[in-house]
Amino acid sequence: MRAYFKFELIHFMTNKKNIAIYVILLFFACFYAIKIAPSFDPIEKVDKDEIEARFLTREDFLNNVVLDENTYPLTRFAAAIYPEWNEYDKQRLDALEQNDMKKYAESTFKWYEYSDSMIFRNGKGLLYYNPRYYTAGNLYATEDGHYAYMYSASRYKGYSEGNSDLSINVFEERTALQTLQRMLHGYLPLILLVSCILFTSDIVLKDKRNPTLIKGFPLSIWRRLLVKGGVALIGSILTIIPLLVGFIIIAIQSGVGDFQLPVPIFSYETRAFTSISMGSYLFQNALLILFWFLLLISMLLLVSIILRNEFANLVVGCIVVFAEFYYYVRGLGFVKDIQWYPSSYVQVGQILSGYREYLNNSTTLTLEYGLLVMSGYTVICLLITFIICNQRWFKLL
Amino acid sequence: MLELKNIGVNFSGRDILKEVSITFHPGEIIGLVAPNGTGKSTLMNVIMNYLRPNSGKVLFNNELEYTSKKNEVKIHQLVSMMPDQSDLYNHLSGKQHLKIYSSMWNSNPELIERTIEDLGMASYVNKKTGTYSLGMRQRLCFAMQIVSDTQIMLMDEVMNGLDPTQVEIISQILVKKKAEGKTIIIASHLLENLEKYANRIFFVKNGKLDLIEDIYKDLGINGNLVIRVKEGTPELKEKLSQDFPELNIQLLSNSVTLIDFPKDDDGKLERISAFLSDHHEQEFSVGKMTLVDLYSKYYH
Repeated sequence: MRAYFKFELIHFMTNKKNIAIYVILLFFACFYAIKIAPSFDPIEKVDKDEIEARFLTREDFLNNVVLDENTYPLTRFAAAIYPEWNEYDKQRLDALEQNDMKKYAESTFKWYEYSDSMIFRNGKGLLYYNPRYYTAGNLYATEDGHYAYMYSASRYKGYSEGNSDLSINVFEERTALQTLQRMLHGYLPLILLVSCILFTSDIVLKDKRNPTLIKGFPLSIWRRLLVKGGVALIGSILTIIPLLVGFIIIAIQSGVGDFQLPVPIFSYETRAFTSISMGSYLFQNALLILFWFLLLISMLLLVSIILRNEFANLVVGCIVVFAEFYYYVRGLGFVKDIQWYPSSYVQVGQILSGYREYLNNSTTLTLEYGLLVMSGYTVICLLITFIICNQRWFKLL
Repeated sequence: MLELKNIGVNFSGRDILKEVSITFHPGEIIGLVAPNGTGKSTLMNVIMNYLRPNSGKVLFNNELEYTSKKNEVKIHQLVSMMPDQSDLYNHLSGKQHLKIYSSMWNSNPELIERTIEDLGMASYVNKKTGTYSLGMRQRLCFAMQIVSDTQIMLMDEVMNGLDPTQVEIISQILVKKKAEGKTIIIASHLLENLEKYANRIFFVKNGKLDLIEDIYKDLGINGNLVIRVKEGTPELKEKLSQDFPELNIQLLSNSVTLIDFPKDDDGKLERISAFLSDHHEQEFSVGKMTLVDLYSKYYH
């Protein structure tokens, strides 16, 4: 079995298609690190001018407002809420002036908490989140802003309570680890899963090109498939290497970050954020992606022995990965048990940060459910494959 | 030991193999000879279980049968089939191929170097097989099977694309393997070469395996001795038949005319000789019927 593993690994690593995938990933990683990451423009950024402009405007208002029986109610409302708000902005400006990052984090946490409570609970229709949430066609701009402010509050709270080295890059989530976190929240899991599909789609069927060389190997079909699956898994995990190049470039530009940095996690049940360390968050991502790899590989091995067509493998793999785009509607989890569909877990970073719970109004789109669903489907696929492979009539080639 | 019991293979109502029962022993080289499409490869595929026969079974060492996938793995430890040269991985070197086969069958790694040396492959074995000529590829395929070192070796058209020197080298290795106690089954069209080292040669016809000794007997040719006229024509055969009606005269598909050697000579041989000289047929000989002639006669 070891010899066959070595044999399959050599083939995997010398396969032109696989090399091309690694090269494309390397290109993307470098392109992202050199062109896209530096131009990242977060909505919640550290903008001294913006804070100062807001502070001075409100300060001016508070200094000049006359409150009497004729004062318009909204003016009274503003006069009531601005002092505390401005106090936080003042603290933030002072902290930036003094380059006291800890103090900035503490006051910014309070600012976000207070802002969200004012805008979401008290100021609907009167107060607004950052205008960049109010894009054309976004019916959920307020909800997006609410989530972002809660997220930022939790994040800054974590910074103020933690021992990590703080910097503007950390606050704006520009460090290499935070960029990785953002990418895991975005399309990186999809890229990894599609790579896994591409690696696995031909791992069984390539043997059709060299049948007489392989057919007589003294190894059972089941074991051969296990080895092929293992090789595809290793190959999929090795996608880390080209991506690591991009990570290093970002680390040189903006710093590595810290594994102890807080990552806010939303719980739909409590409607609140808690935070875990960056290290734990990345580990959980790796775990769920690993289970995704196992599911895709076992499923494609099964499809390979049933349909025996590489294109069918690609289609089936892509359907599973992209199915969520077809059925996803905001809040769907409230009416449908989407937690049992593997495709509901494709946005790995969003699942782990709780963002999917928030979007789907669901309490069950969690890591635990994800692992359960992935492992369940993986076991089913492997079991069917095992049964088919051990039928006397079954031939792999 | 390899035993075929009542093997029957049928494709679309046509019997490719019909009730084939035969035993192959250790230390034996078996030759399978037949025109293309008559069942040689089918028989090998049945032995490897690449093809399930409609009837019968294959028995290895009196105990192992293809009754389960587990048994198939055990059997494939004992038997191997030479790969087709078109199936080689062009991006891998010859040596990598040999290492793969050696490690898959867990054979002695020293066999790799020995085989490379025996087959004179040292100058190119480290190059990618995509650069090999047909003969080099064929030698590599043969070497791969040799390094697998299985007890039973099946070789389909092993001598294809090889020059006479290489044919001789491979033949010597086959003889050596036979001496080591291997059972080697070869399908080949190089009949004269096969005749030299094969213990038994079978012609495959109508789904049956016929041993050539039995064919000789059945043909009733006198002690297998014949007068062989190299360039025969239907006219010559006609004239010979008229002059020597008591003799069995045949015109083969390879244009050779075979004349049964007269039992009671009493000057008949001289008369035949004179007849052939009179008819400008200078190239004729007396001797045992060659395998090529038998093949032509059998598949005529």
